[in-house]
Parts: sequence; C-alpha cells; structure tokens
Amino acid sequence: MTASASGSNHSLIRLTQVVKTYDSGEVPFTALRGVDLTVEPGEFVGLIGKSGSGKTTLINMITGIDRPTSGEVLISGTPVHALSENKLAVWRGRTIGVVFQFFQLLPTLTVVENVMLPMDFCSVHLPRERESFAMSLLEQVEMADQAHKLPAALSGGQQQRVAIARALANDPPILAADEPTGNLDSVTAEAVFVLFEKLVAAGKTIVMVTHDNDIASRVARALHVHDGEIVDDIRRP
Amino acid sequence: MVLPPRWRKVARDLVAHKLRTILVVLSIAVGIFAILVVMGGRGILIEAFETNFPKSNPSTAVLVTTGFDQMLVDRVARADGVADAEGRRTVSLRYRPGDVTGQVDPPVQVAVAQRQTSITLIAAKDWAASRIDVAAPQGSTPWPPARGEIVLETSDTQVSALRPGDFMTVETASGDKKLLRITGFVHDINSFPAMFVGQITGYVTLETMADLGVDAGMDQLLIKIEKPGLTRAEANRIVSRVRDDVIAPAGVRTLNTTVPEPGSHRLGDIFKAVSILLLVLGVMALALSGFLVVNTVSALLTQQMRQVGIMKAIGGKRVQIGALFLSLVAIYGLLAVLVGLPIGAWWASWFANFAGGLLDFGPAAATPPAYTVALAVAVGFLVPLIAALLPIRKGTRVSVVTALNATGMSGTHFGHGLIDRLLGRLRGLPRPVALSLRNTFLRKGRLAMTLMTLVLASAVVMSVGSVRASILTTVSDVSKWWNYDAEVNFARPVPAQLAERDALKVSDVKSSEGWLASPATLRRGDGTENTRLGMIALPPNTSFITPFLVGGRWLTDADTNGVVVNTDVVNAEHLAIGDAVSLKIRGKDYDFRVIGVVRGQMMGPVFFSNRAYTERLLGLQGSITRLLVRTGDHSIAAQDMTADRLDRTFTDAGLVVIDVLGQARMSESFANQLGILVTFLIIMAVILATVGVIGLSGTMIINVLESTREIGVMRAIGASHGSIYQVFVTEGVVIGVLSWAGGLILSWPMSLGLVWVLEGAIGIPLTYTFSWEAVAGWLVVVAAISAVASLIPAFNASQVSVRDAISYE
Ligand SMILES: Nc1ncnc2c1ncn2[C@@H]1O[C@H](COP(=O)(O)OP(=O)(O)O)[C@@H](O)[C@H]1O
Ligand SMILES: [Mg+2]
Repeated sequence: MTASASGSNHSLIRLTQVVKTYDSGEVPFTALRGVDLTVEPGEFVGLIGKSGSGKTTLINMITGIDRPTSGEVLISGTPVHALSENKLAVWRGRTIGVVFQFFQLLPTLTVVENVMLPMDFCSVHLPRERESFAMSLLEQVEMADQAHKLPAALSGGQQQRVAIARALANDPPILAADEPTGNLDSVTAEAVFVLFEKLVAAGKTIVMVTHDNDIASRVARALHVHDGEIVDDIRRP
Repeated sequence: MVLPPRWRKVARDLVAHKLRTILVVLSIAVGIFAILVVMGGRGILIEAFETNFPKSNPSTAVLVTTGFDQMLVDRVARADGVADAEGRRTVSLRYRPGDVTGQVDPPVQVAVAQRQTSITLIAAKDWAASRIDVAAPQGSTPWPPARGEIVLETSDTQVSALRPGDFMTVETASGDKKLLRITGFVHDINSFPAMFVGQITGYVTLETMADLGVDAGMDQLLIKIEKPGLTRAEANRIVSRVRDDVIAPAGVRTLNTTVPEPGSHRLGDIFKAVSILLLVLGVMALALSGFLVVNTVSALLTQQMRQVGIMKAIGGKRVQIGALFLSLVAIYGLLAVLVGLPIGAWWASWFANFAGGLLDFGPAAATPPAYTVALAVAVGFLVPLIAALLPIRKGTRVSVVTALNATGMSGTHFGHGLIDRLLGRLRGLPRPVALSLRNTFLRKGRLAMTLMTLVLASAVVMSVGSVRASILTTVSDVSKWWNYDAEVNFARPVPAQLAERDALKVSDVKSSEGWLASPATLRRGDGTENTRLGMIALPPNTSFITPFLVGGRWLTDADTNGVVVNTDVVNAEHLAIGDAVSLKIRGKDYDFRVIGVVRGQMMGPVFFSNRAYTERLLGLQGSITRLLVRTGDHSIAAQDMTADRLDRTFTDAGLVVIDVLGQARMSESFANQLGILVTFLIIMAVILATVGVIGLSGTMIINVLESTREIGVMRAIGASHGSIYQVFVTEGVVIGVLSWAGGLILSWPMSLGLVWVLEGAIGIPLTYTFSWEAVAGWLVVVAAISAVASLIPAFNASQVSVRDAISYE
C-alpha cells in the first residue's frame, strides 16, 4: 500500500520505491519494502508503528544517516542516495536538523557551544554572529539562562530542548526526530511537542517518529508503518 | 574440542576486535622490542668483549725498545714473575692503494685520489705460534701471511676500501716502492680500531719486513704476567725489574713502557660510557613500555565495562569474570612476545654488530643473552598481567547497574577537576578546537601515562641533542687549541735552529716552533710509579696552542720548576695546584710544582713546562724533539701534502722522523672517537622516540574507539571528514606539544647528568652546551609525528558509520 503520491515534482521530501535490506545478520532482512512518500513544506509528519516495524530505518533514509538498497530519496531536489559520505554530512548539517532519543549532546562542550558546533562544521553564519544566533535559539527553547552549563548538569527535558536548539543551528528547513520524547516523562514530552508545533507554525517541516499514541493523534499527518510498509496515511484537517 | 561459552567469548573478543587486538599486541611488542635492542644489544656487546678479549690473552705490558732478538725474548719469558713474552716488529710506512710502482712521482690528481696515507705494519717471528695479544684470522685468511702478502685488521674496512685480492704500494724508508698483496683479514682486539686512529694496521712476516727495508730484529716486547689479583703497581714493579735486570744488560734501551690497568682494554673507558648509557636507556625503555602496557590494558577494560555488567547480571562470579579478562590479557602478551621477540632479537644483533664493529670487539653472538630475553618476555607477559590486576579488580567490583548504564559517551565526568574548569573557562575558541582540548584532558589517567611516555622520550631526544652539542663544542675547542697544521716527531733530539730552517724551506710553511717532548715517569710517595706520562717543554708565550685553563695559571717566561698539568694527569694522579711532583725524565729525577691545570685534549696525561728552563735542566740546550708548523692552506689535503714534504725534507737531511701528523687528521680522529658515542645515543633516542610515538598512536586509537558515538553525532549534525580529522589531529598535536614542553624541562638535568657520566667515563671535561636547535627541531618533529600518529585513528574515525555509531544495541 502506498501513501499519497499526489505531490508535485517539487515536493520537499520525495521517496520513490525505497527498499532497505540489512544483510549484516545471518539471513538478509528487508526492513523497508518499496516505500513511496512525499512531504510538502510546512507539514508536521508523525511516523507511528510497533517496535521493529521500520520507523527508524525510514527516518534514516530521509536524513541520509543510512542509504537505501534501492529506490530514490530526493530532498529539495537533491538526490540524497547518490551523495558521497562527506558531501552528505555537510548537506545534512545545512538541510536537516537531527534530534535523537538520547539527546546526544557532547559532554565536554557547554550548552551554547553545543548549539554553535554545527555552525562551525558547516560554516553557517559569520563567526562573530554565531554566539548571538545560538543564544536566540536557546531563548526560543527557554534554555538561555543555562547557556554556560555543561550538559551533565541538566535534566533530560532540558537536554532535549538544547538538542532541538542545536538541530535548528543552521536554520535547516527540515527537522527529523527519532522518538524525541521516548526518554522523557509525559509533562516534559508535552512541552517538547508544543515546541515542535510552534516550529511548524513558524514554517519548519518536521518528521518525527513516536510510539506515544496520545502524541500520534495530534500530528497533522500520521503515517502508520507496519512490516516495512506505510499502511495508513491519516491527515487531520 | 568444545570450549565452554565464556572461553569462546575470549576467542571471539580477539578476532572480532582486530584493530584493538593489533593495537594492544603492537604496544606490548614495542616494549619488548625496545628492551631487547637496548639491553640485549648491550648484552651481546659485553659477551663479545668478554669472550674475545681474554681469548687474545692480552699482554700485561708493552715495551718499545731498540732492536732485540728472540734470545732476549726467551730470557724475558723466563724472568721472575713473568709468565710469557713475545717480540714484535712494528713500523709505520706510507702507502697508496693499488699498484703505482711504475709512477715516479704521481701527478697531483692521482695523489689526491690515491692519497698517500700511513699504515702500521706489525710482524712477528711466527704468527701461527703467537700466544700474547693473539690475532684471530677471519674466514679462510691464510695465516701466517706468505712473503709479500699482507693481512689487514677487520676494522680497517671502516676507513679503507682495500679488500682481499687488492694490492697496495708501500714506500720503504729508502724511498723504494714495494708491492704487497692483501690476502684477508685478521681480528686483533688489542689494536687501535682504524676509525679511532684514522690509520690502518697490517700484519706481515719478518721476511716481508726485511723486503721493505726494515732492519731485522724486533722493537716491541709484549710481557704477560699471570697472577690473580695483579695490581697495576705490582705489574709496574715487575716490569721495571725486568727492564733493569734483563733488558738493559743485553744492551737494549727501553724507549717507552706501557702498563695499563691489568685486564683493561684500550677502549675500556669509552665502552664503559657506552655501556652505562645503554643501561640507563634500557631502564627507561623498560619504564616506557611498562606505561604503554598499563595504559592499553586499562583502556581495554574500561571499554568492556558493559559486558562486565551483563556477565554479572546473568550470574558470573567476580573470580570467573576476572579470570576471563586475565586470560585475554595473557593471550595478548603471548602474541606480543611472538611478534616482538624475533624482531627485537634481530635488531639487537644488528646493533651489537654495528657497535662491536666500531669498537672492534670482533665477532658477536647472533642472539641476545638469555637474561635479556627473559627480561623482555617478562615485560611482555607479566607486566600486562600485573597492569591488568588493578583495573580488573576495580572493573569487576562495579555494580551491575553502574556497569550497564555506562553510557556510550565518556565525557559525563567532565567539568570537575581544576584543569576541566580552567579549560571550561577558555572561551571564544572555535568549538572543534575546544572539543579537542577538553577531550585531551578527559581521560586523565590515560593522558598521564601517554604524557609520561612521550615526555620521557622527548627528554631523552633533547638531552642527546645537548650531549651532541656539548661534544661538538668540545671538539671545536680542541681544534682551537691546535693552532698549527702539522707536527713532526723526531726519534732523537735535534738542533732547533736546523729543524726550523729546514722546515721553512718547505713550500707553504709560514712559521714553526720547536718543542721538547719526552716520556716521563711519576714517582709516587708510596714508591710506585706511573710510567704513562708525557712532558712537553714549550715556549710559555706559544701561539701554536691555546690552552684552556681549568685552574691555576699558564706558564710564564719566569717559571722554572712550575708545571701545568692537563686534566688527564689530575684524573690519574689526583694532583692539585701547589702539589710537588717528582718526575723521572730521560733516566733522571727532577722536582716540579703544579701551578695550573688545563683541559686534556685526547693526548694523554701531559705535563707542560717552560722550554728555556727544561732544556737546561735536561742538558739539551737548543734541542727539540717535536716541530710544529703553520701553513697557509688548512685543508686536510694541503696538510697531508705538507706533512709529506716535511718528512722528505728531514729524512733527506739525515734526521730520523718518527711520524708527521696533519692537524686536521688528528682532530678528525678525536671527533670520531666522540662521534661514536653520539651515534649510539642517537640510535637509542630513535628507539625511545618510536616507543613514545607508538604509545601516542595507541592512546589516540583507544580515544577514537571510545568516541565512536560522539563521532556519529558530529557527523549527524554536519561534520565533514575534514572536521573529524581536525578534532583528533588537534588532540594528538596537543599531547605532542605538551610532551615536548615537559621533556624540555626534564632534558636540562638529564643532559647535565649524561654529560657528567660521559666525562667520568672518558676522562675529558666536556663544555656543556644546551642545544636549542635540538629543542626547536624536536618541537617540529614531535608536532609532525603526533599529527601523523593521530591520522590513522582519525581516518578510522571518519569511516565510522553514523547509523551504527548512534544506534543502541
Ligand atoms: N543494522 C541492522 N542490521 C540488521 N537488522 C536491522 C538493523 N537495524 C534494524 N534492523 C531490523 O530492521 C527492522 C526495523 O528496525 P527499526 O527501523 O529500527 O524499527 P523501529 O525503529 O520501528 O523499531 C527490525 O526488525 C530490526 O531488527
Ligand atoms: Mg526505532
């Protein structure tokens, strides 16, 4: 079953017949079985499904963290599947902000330094403007007062908010998050979700994996993944 | 054979983590290698010396005399206290390589290409029956050599291209040219290695000598005294008695008596210096490899924390888990021994043969002595096990929860220590640089170990630089001391005026000065004697030497029995300024008083006195025995040419010339002697630097392995290969530069110590010179090396798959 293929040629995200087969195990395992998907700018997409259904594999195709065995991944017209590892890293740094389940802040850098790191890597913004831009991002996520602390001094929710600010550092059009609330209590998770809604309202496109049914029912578009296929594509008005 | 599952884990750990296995094995193997080369090499050298030297049955005394025959030798051999005696004929002649008998006077180009140099020829009545200072023919060398044939000393190959089958043209005393065929090599451990004297030695028979116009009869008497616990004083007494009671009554005059410390070798001091340095460096290599092993093993265990937790959670007992890791470490040690032992043994033997060749110690064993092998194996095998005990104890004690929760990122403890807070305060650095700097200090234990290894290596490298600089300064001081181009030594005192007039006839000679030089015997208060001294009487205001005063004052025209001694005399006799000395010169006793001390110049222990006073004292008014000349051109070639001409001029004038020496050649042989020490030091420094560099690479590889998740994250947020390289190379270079700084501080006392040890061993004060060149040079090298050492791990880092790095198992 394929999801909506109605998008124009200029869709922000466009996956065509994406197949992913892992052959690291004893028998090759196909985790994605020919997925077609388009996402338009400004959409808030949730990937929903049971553990092992292929959600992480799918979002990794979009971020370029992993490559498809066959099929095409086009993001703003860029053939992600064809980029070299090195080009991919820099492209990703500028185009997609990645948020992890376990935050993954670098422990020896302070909060604001963590936010500035992607700017250094991708040479985005003038060097002297980087700190003020990072501070404004931290203000957006309400973490400006903790800017000079080390990550270890923060709670999980606070770390995830810093991680979101870091994902926004190079002002990418797309945010990709794999279970960003999976490691947070429900109150904190709610705060993160509200933050995402604000970012979508501000024009970002977000693709988020979640298994939290409550949150799943609130995204604008819910894609249900089962056994490596998108079985349902539900849009809320 | 079915292995229990936990042993299968050990086996899989080894195979699955190939890079880590290689790294750990390599680190331990390098330690084994360093110890084997340094200690094993030293062992082989000592062994070669201790077999070959006694085997030669070294003489107790060597007397240079006027001619004598075999009858006298037999009489000396039967004398009281003497075990054996042997006679030799020695002569120093000029030769050119190849057959140039046809040429009357070779043109200058040929003369330069086939420079005429000296060879010392030694003949014995019957080489095959020689029992004292025995020379050992090498390979299939015919021994004794036939008439017209010559056998060269093995060390001659270091300064000469002559090989068996070649010819040499020897110039006889009467100016005839005689052809000799080289038939092989002989090892004579009691000869001066060619490299040291810059002259080769050849062995012939008495008949060949006669063919060369050398008069029959022998002029060198070797005496062997066999007595346990023989002292030098005792040997001296016996030899003096033989000289006075046996040799003199036969009408044979003794010109020079040499009685070294019984059982000592002529290069004994230099060898002692080398041996001590090797021992010091060997102990350092031991410490370095110890650090390396501890470092690697504890990193290994940190990495395995999670697995410890899992094993504990499923019921593994502490002892079982400990045994598991210990056996893993033991297998690493075993593999390292298998790798390091053969390579180390091969290089130890190479090094020993290289050093043994320079010192002319003769054939050396191909394998290091057993005790050094045992030491290396112990380091490779036991040190890792001991090193592993503490981390294993700590690791297996950790609670299951802590072990399982060990995060993928290792920096969660950052921010507590003083350094962390200081580094945290460093604002405004680009983030990748801040990351490198702080990560450098993240694993403090490992950093400390790596730094210790590399600081020690840096200190040794820079110290060797300073020792080398000190030696070079000393050599240049020595060259400054000799302000002349050639010296002529006469067999008997000659009229000064005649000699100086003849010398000025030689083209290019600008000025000359005559000295009276004579062997001198010091009579000690206890009745014993030191016969190995020299007296030089010279004009106090001489411009031909520039004495380097260590204490007291130099001679003046007003001085009578005031003498200046060199440091060699002070070392041998513990004389001080103001001391009275009694010297026997040319058979009579005279009293002198020490007024000053000058630095020794590798010319042995010498007393300097006022020539005007001394010639009257000795009844030799207007006579000299040594003539120094200054020429316009100071090149080696020009000096050789002048030496040649002087020789001919004086010989034509009927004077008996012992030798004519070019000054540049003398400095060269002095520089060569010290240069050998520098060569050893440099070899050692390179070995230690290698250990340090492998230690750094090891640390960087482990750091990268532990940073896998961080690298994944960095790549996920936009880091290119270049950015990742930069982070790790910066970390490596920071460690390198820190080591350089630490080594710089340590190198100052270390080089002072090394220079002190050297001075003690060779008995010459060195001008200590701290080498800033070495300091600057090593900074460049260490920065480059540490960048390169981090490149391999950085390359690995950039190859990390982002998906694997950030996914949880
Ligand atoms: N690196 C891998 N090698 C082999 N199989 C994998 C790998 N990663 C994931 N899989 C398998 O692919 C399937 C989908 O995994 P994943 O995308 O992580 O699911 P989800 O995120 O929905 O839990 C699972 O059955 C998983 O076991
Ligand atoms: Mg998942």
